[in-house]
Amino acid sequence: MRPLAIASAVLSFASTALCAEKSNLTTPLTSKLILPSTFKPVQNFQNANLVHIISLEKGYPKESINVVIENIASTAQDEYFLPFTSQQMATIGALEVKDRKNPDGALFQVEAVEFDPESDTQFYRISLPTPLAPKAQQTLGITFSYLSALTPLPATIAQADKQYLVYTFSAYCQSAYVTLKQKTEVKFPSVVVPEYTIIPGTKGEAESPQKQGSKFTYGSFGEVPAGAVEPVKVRYEFTKPLIHVSELERDIEVSHWGGNVAFEERYTMTNRAANLSKQFSRVEWASAQYYNPPTTAVRELKFPLKVGSLDPYFTDVIGNVSTSRFRSNKREANLEIKPRYPVFGGWNYPFRVGWNADLKKYLRKLKTGEGYVLNVPFLEGPKQPEGMEYEHITLRVILPEGAENVQYSTTVPLVSASTSLHRTFMDTTGRTALTLTAINIVDDLRDRELIVTYDYPFLAGFRKPIVIFISTLSLFAAAWGIGSLDVKIKSKRS
Amino acid sequence: MESSLHQVWESAVGNPFVPTVGKGSQFLVGFSLLTIGLLLTGLFGLNRTVVNVPVIGIPASLAIAFGAVYMICAVGVYV
Repeated sequence: MRPLAIASAVLSFASTALCAEKSNLTTPLTSKLILPSTFKPVQNFQNANLVHIISLEKGYPKESINVVIENIASTAQDEYFLPFTSQQMATIGALEVKDRKNPDGALFQVEAVEFDPESDTQFYRISLPTPLAPKAQQTLGITFSYLSALTPLPATIAQADKQYLVYTFSAYCQSAYVTLKQKTEVKFPSVVVPEYTIIPGTKGEAESPQKQGSKFTYGSFGEVPAGAVEPVKVRYEFTKPLIHVSELERDIEVSHWGGNVAFEERYTMTNRAANLSKQFSRVEWASAQYYNPPTTAVRELKFPLKVGSLDPYFTDVIGNVSTSRFRSNKREANLEIKPRYPVFGGWNYPFRVGWNADLKKYLRKLKTGEGYVLNVPFLEGPKQPEGMEYEHITLRVILPEGAENVQYSTTVPLVSASTSLHRTFMDTTGRTALTLTAINIVDDLRDRELIVTYDYPFLAGFRKPIVIFISTLSLFAAAWGIGSLDVKIKSKRS
Repeated sequence: MESSLHQVWESAVGNPFVPTVGKGSQFLVGFSLLTIGLLLTGLFGLNRTVVNVPVIGIPASLAIAFGAVYMICAVGVYV
């Protein structure tokens, strides 16, 4: 009995160690620029005017900072730093910076900076495309979202109750520089905001917030030093699901022989809404469906696919789910799926959807050489009014066997990219697969294009028929060879 | 706001990839080629000589090779 007990103890230790290792995987994968631990942004800039807009209309907070920056140094400067807490750094997604005066221009280069992993203040470095001359001004438009930042309060509610969410932010926008004038606008999904922080007015300024329907405005505030924080907490009604996809695996498989591109998406979905305080009542749920009240459960997901998509499927761990509808005509191709059960707060629903499409809309042949260019959406997930957030996306573009010289470009921020071989039906060496990984993506980035170019030599295209040809021909030769063997028992002489 | 390869995509406009055999005729082509391959194999079976290995074997193998690829595509496994 004793060795068994020791063995089980060892096993349990091993499993805890494994779990601990697994949990480490949740740390952000972003590439970082390492700076000395004494790093502090040089006060080369000041913010002449800043408007911070926090949109709480979806299931994740979306923030945008429009700031007029001014170079107060004596030389031209091109590095602007934006501070975040380490908690915000782990959940921030889709950070994009552009010139507000030139919205169609290219995105600015943004990089996470690491100088001291223990410090609570971390920075993003924004590189201005052209250095800003002394005393010159530029208007930056900075947008980003936080994932898993909204928390329901109370944390458990009854099936038909309303849900309230809490969000905490700072009325003074985070900045590594002195800000001369600023205000923070908060857009709520409705006018029902039962609790919010009130900031008393000082020096002739009015009390904050000022309310205008579902929009609250904190400020405007006068000169604020770098790093100043004024915590504000708001609690507002949001009786909709908080759809969180912890893992999305999306495969795009290109077939030149079949003239087809096949999409498959595997979702690990969770609803982060308030959990149920009582047992789920099917009767109450079914009777409520007649008047369709707002609910925190995920009832339906709508995928507006590209026109021309066909053969969709929707399965989960049990098998095919029949509660789906596909409307396809010349103008639209909408896949509407209903999960097997309403997904309430704290519940999970893993599922997969897939569809085919004709290749000619997505693939073009380059005029020179044997090159091809593929243009596919990076993300084609459901389009929900309450929004969706994706913690981890693995996108795999499976190119035909023998494709080489693979290059790609996308405006979605990526954390890693690699090329490998994927072996499946009738492959000899394996197909070239481009794997792209992105973290903390929100559904605002839906339909961003991914362009892949590759060379596909003429002979590589014939690899499959050649393999079958050689094996069949050797079968003929073997049939003749074996057939002409003399295996008679009778002696040759007689 | 465009990705860096967007120009490459735009420059190839008017040159979409069109497969040799469209999706609608894959089954017909695959089935016909496989039938031809099967008949030629039967013919070879009647007269197995060393001359017939290239004379019948090569066309039969070609028909089976391309027929199999198109038949696999026609049933939905896009290789």
